[in-house]
Amino acid sequence: MNEQRRQILEMLAEGKITADEAERLIDALERDRPGSPPGVTSPTKSRPKYLRVVLNSAETSGGDGPTRINVRIPLQLLRAGVRLTSLIPPQALTKINQQLDKSGVPIDLAELRPQHLEDLIEQLDEVNIDMDDPDTKMQVFCE
Amino acid sequence: MIPYLVTVGCRRPDGRRWRLYIPVLLVLLVLSPLLLLAVLGGVVACLVTGVSPVGALRGAGQLLWALPGTRFELEYDRTAVQVSVR
Repeated sequence: MNEQRRQILEMLAEGKITADEAERLIDALERDRPGSPPGVTSPTKSRPKYLRVVLNSAETSGGDGPTRINVRIPLQLLRAGVRLTSLIPPQALTKINQQLDKSGVPIDLAELRPQHLEDLIEQLDEVNIDMDDPDTKMQVFCE
Repeated sequence: MIPYLVTVGCRRPDGRRWRLYIPVLLVLLVLSPLLLLAVLGGVVACLVTGVSPVGALRGAGQLLWALPGTRFELEYDRTAVQVSVR
């Protein structure tokens, strides 16, 4: 706790200022502070723009050479793709649902709203998948 | 922003490389008559299948606008392919 904040709290404890005044003073202090303390996430943190998929595979004993895949997809492209799903004709949706049901996956795609998919993509920001194998390393993350 | 340059690169097993730069706006301009026909065909297909043509055009436009920044690189042994949209 810094000195100024301590003084405000002491003034509050002594009854020299009210709780509202103390709150306003502390808010003013935080506004004037140039940087936020470590560990506190800034609300204006830049949002990731790309989904990255990186795969590095070493040379295998079967004679295959090393493989490297590096894909960078703008999250905006995923959002645009998801919005296109709302254009699927209802009769096609019915057929897809029937086939899914027949395959033992009773999912009603008509219930899947674009908003739900967009929410899903919004949450991709936090995705970080690391898969390590003796010969292969794969990473999926947003940047 | 609409993509303005697509770069396609390739490295062959013998080590030879080539790189193709495709200026999207120029290609669109040259192919605009065909593009117009394709759009008309798409609108007819939308009307036949009961899809909103306006929504489909908007969706295609959004996809096009979101393409810049896309990058795909694949290396296998001594062969490599790279596609980049700027």
